[in-house]
Amino acid sequence: MKQQRLEVLSLLPVVVIAFGLPLVLHSPTYLHIIILLYFYAYLTTSWNLVGGFAGVLPLGHAAFVGIGAYSSTVLSLQYGISPWLGMIVGGVLATLVGVIIGLPTFKMRGAYFALATIAFAEGLRVMVENIDYLGPFNLNGPRGLEISPLNVGLANFMFTTKEPYYYIVLVMLVGVLALTYLISRSKLGYYLQAGGEEPEAAMSLGVNVARCKLIAMAMSSFLTALAGTFYAQFTLYIHPKSVISLDLSFEIAFIALIGGRGSIAGPILGALLLRPVSDLSRIYFGATLPGLHLIIFGIVLILVMIYQPRGLQEPLTRAYNKLLERLAARPAVGV
Amino acid sequence: MMGKRVSTLLWCLVTGLLVGLLVLFWGGSGVTAENVVKIGNIEPLSGPSAAVGLQGKNAREMAVEEINAAGGIKSLGGAKLVLIYADSESKPEKGVAEAERLINTEKVNVLTGCWNSAVTLPTTAVAERYGIPFIVPVSVNDKITEQGFKNVFRIAAKDSWWTRDQFAFLKDMEKEFNVKVKTVAFVYENGDWGKGFAGLWKELAKKGGYQVVLDEPYPSTATDLSPVVQKIKRANPDVLFLVSNAADAILLTNTLADYKVKPKAIIGSGGGHADPSFLKATGQNARYIFDLVEWETDVNKPGAKETNEKFKKRYGYNLAGESVDAYVAMYVLADALERAGSLDPAKIRKALAETNLTKGPGMIVAYDAVQFDKTGQNEHAALVMVQINDIGHGMERLTVWPKGARHAGYTPVFPMPQK
Amino acid sequence: MLYILEDTINGILMGSIYGLTALGLTLIFGVLKVINFAHGSLLMVGMYVAYWAVALTGLHPYLALILVVPVMYLFGYYLQDIVIKPIFKAEREVREPITVIIVTTGLWYILDNVTLLLFGPQYRTIQANPLRGKMLELGGMLISVPKLWGFVTALITAASIYWFLQRTRLGRAIRATSLDRDAASLMGIKQYKVYNIAFGIGTATAGIAGVTLVPFYNVFPSVGVLFDIKGFIIVVLGGLGSMGGALLGGMIIGVIESVGPQFMAATWTEAIVYGLFLVFLFVKPSGLFGVRYDW
Repeated sequence: MKQQRLEVLSLLPVVVIAFGLPLVLHSPTYLHIIILLYFYAYLTTSWNLVGGFAGVLPLGHAAFVGIGAYSSTVLSLQYGISPWLGMIVGGVLATLVGVIIGLPTFKMRGAYFALATIAFAEGLRVMVENIDYLGPFNLNGPRGLEISPLNVGLANFMFTTKEPYYYIVLVMLVGVLALTYLISRSKLGYYLQAGGEEPEAAMSLGVNVARCKLIAMAMSSFLTALAGTFYAQFTLYIHPKSVISLDLSFEIAFIALIGGRGSIAGPILGALLLRPVSDLSRIYFGATLPGLHLIIFGIVLILVMIYQPRGLQEPLTRAYNKLLERLAARPAVGV
Repeated sequence: MMGKRVSTLLWCLVTGLLVGLLVLFWGGSGVTAENVVKIGNIEPLSGPSAAVGLQGKNAREMAVEEINAAGGIKSLGGAKLVLIYADSESKPEKGVAEAERLINTEKVNVLTGCWNSAVTLPTTAVAERYGIPFIVPVSVNDKITEQGFKNVFRIAAKDSWWTRDQFAFLKDMEKEFNVKVKTVAFVYENGDWGKGFAGLWKELAKKGGYQVVLDEPYPSTATDLSPVVQKIKRANPDVLFLVSNAADAILLTNTLADYKVKPKAIIGSGGGHADPSFLKATGQNARYIFDLVEWETDVNKPGAKETNEKFKKRYGYNLAGESVDAYVAMYVLADALERAGSLDPAKIRKALAETNLTKGPGMIVAYDAVQFDKTGQNEHAALVMVQINDIGHGMERLTVWPKGARHAGYTPVFPMPQK
Repeated sequence: MLYILEDTINGILMGSIYGLTALGLTLIFGVLKVINFAHGSLLMVGMYVAYWAVALTGLHPYLALILVVPVMYLFGYYLQDIVIKPIFKAEREVREPITVIIVTTGLWYILDNVTLLLFGPQYRTIQANPLRGKMLELGGMLISVPKLWGFVTALITAASIYWFLQRTRLGRAIRATSLDRDAASLMGIKQYKVYNIAFGIGTATAGIAGVTLVPFYNVFPSVGVLFDIKGFIIVVLGGLGSMGGALLGGMIIGVIESVGPQFMAATWTEAIVYGLFLVFLFVKPSGLFGVRYDW
């Protein structure tokens, strides 16, 4: 059997489990946790388009989450526009902002780029915290915006149970993974990788590195903003410190880095491992030894970076590939 | 090689953690359901508000110990109260996640929390969805009891009552000391608490005929407040209204003293000014400041002094308005449970709604009864104004208003002496 | 108009202290090419060391320097040696070790929260110290004495480090490594030793900054976070590796923070600082005094 077909087949049980889970698991708490897990996996995979493939380190992606969340929320609260529509508007807005940020910053060296993204994100947060009205739109500054849980229905992106949210975020996650896979196999993907590692060499071969990076940024910011709308509709309350926070930007980047940026499985793996660590230690230790969960998180970060700087997906992927090789027709060496 | 062994070790660690996660969720916190009432408490135990979260935790623990020692809930066969805590880290999404977990995994019967209004708002929505009663001891945002929810009960006074009382106090002071106040300045932390107050202040100033000479939000995390103090100095208000968290309250007070800014009165809004570390960190600089709080150690209520002594002995600092709210919340709950005689959330809810608590060890609050109106707001929640002064025992907080609650033998100093 | 002068002076004084906190950062950033996100936490550690030194002995805060400087130097030296060096070694091929950023963030979480566990979240100040609340009256203006001390300390520290870098052999070794680490090691300079020393000096500087802050500011576990981002802004403004640039950058921020509120709400000055930061990043990323590094 061809290795590629084996790869697809091996994913089948995963897909079945993922889509079938809510049929067997009814506890809202577990569903809530898994929804958040998918949410973070989605965010990190979208981040990966720029942070992994394009080889830069954006540390301000929460800004796009905020743009998405605020766009759909303001439009639905003030004008009654369906959050689904607002979601698209948020995405487009985020794309514009992302490209505008990307144009000047992609020329910078790594550390400077990272600082620039931080400055943008923080600048946005400070701006939203200080103004109540942006033109005709009421942003309500630091007091934030609440979404009433009362208008239930698909059109309003509001549900009383967890299952619909589960499926929505799962579909989003699958979509973004498929997109990442397609890009990695496409010309754009190769150009991005080349441009990330050896920009001068790539440019000398005629690759428009800058344009590729901008395209990646545009996609990444659009997708991230969609997650912002999801967050708003799921938690029902947004304010600058929660959606445009540096903590969120860092968490997204770190999950991807620990899982292994630049790979497809990396961000998901990172989310799968790190979210429970952070939640578990907060739940277990948060009451008795405050802050211990952050200490543990910090230690894990450091250990992983020292011993597996390419991310935890590396040994896993190697093992996986070896297994597939063995299952496929005998490796065509010699014979 | 070394690298490989460590990486295997790392994998074992990670897998172990995942397994631990599953075990934990299956098992819950290990509290078995033998005749206990589980109370879930969502508090900021880490992050910027950790200091206040800890005070709330200590107050609850002391109250629950007393209640359990006195026999627990007799109508439930002597059931003991058990406190389960969750750290909100002052973040709304963490609060929401913890509420879900406490309700569904820990199966708590009641929730309390969350200090930060931004966390309380969405968390009460979660409780409402599941029909679990939620007691809010402290968060003051008006909206909390205005969401149309049936399960939310708030002990503290609302935002708008605080600001109303501050202005009422001012008018009374003007009358008592025959001093005319013309100009006011509003300086407040740039969060939802400060901004909420500022909006209400502006309306009250208009109604009271005061001229607002300064409206200045400042970042609570500022490292230097001299520029703000300069602005205050130049605006030269008669009275300065403040809303501050602990760190900035300390910094602001010290800087105001450094620059010798002395308006006729400075009126704080609890929070940072009422924090136990405030007096220690500001010393003489805090003299004559007025502060509006839920409660003060010299309130004229039976048992208040003893309870405070006990708390101070255990934890090293005085009770403050917020910890007292948490303390009385436990007694309100115990009282409701006695009347409900059942762990059914609907029955607990009904009992809470019918609360009319007027006596008992919990009622060390400055007002006479805890009674909730239709929106779940404690109708009688009242506030007192204290003044920080040294009358021979070191810098302390003395209740001055309403006049009936005034510290015996003390006359407030108004206006502030200019030298 | 006198108040504008008063504000400007306050801005310069406070800004020099910001610059002092950034001195270590620009050294570490310039030499190791690393964004040290733990820098604010190191500042916090320095403040706690200074606080305890004074609280337990009742000495003048600046005398605590005798204890703070060596302790912080050793702390930084070994931190780099034990925690960060392994990563550098692993990423020898990469020009800019990005994973170090994650490690320093991990350090930040650990340092801040271990302090929280050990000392609790309460705000501490040294009320009774000889510098608290002292103001100098100069021509109708009030100038804060503890900040003045900080200003002088900042100048002396910056000058000392500059002299060290320019005039001593070790200093030149450090500069060489920062310009081209491979060429430097070819010249026989032990690269990792240089890193350790640079980190040690940077951390010691954070300690000095802590000492200047303790007389008038609050000490609590998350105090470092406030100075963290500001530090990076200053480093970029001033130019990587430039001592004078760090001080000047700090003073610029200080003046914006002090004079700005006279013309707008204090909360907007934060946005202006970020805006200025971005302008510099785009227009003159090497900063005011920075050398164009090709890294």
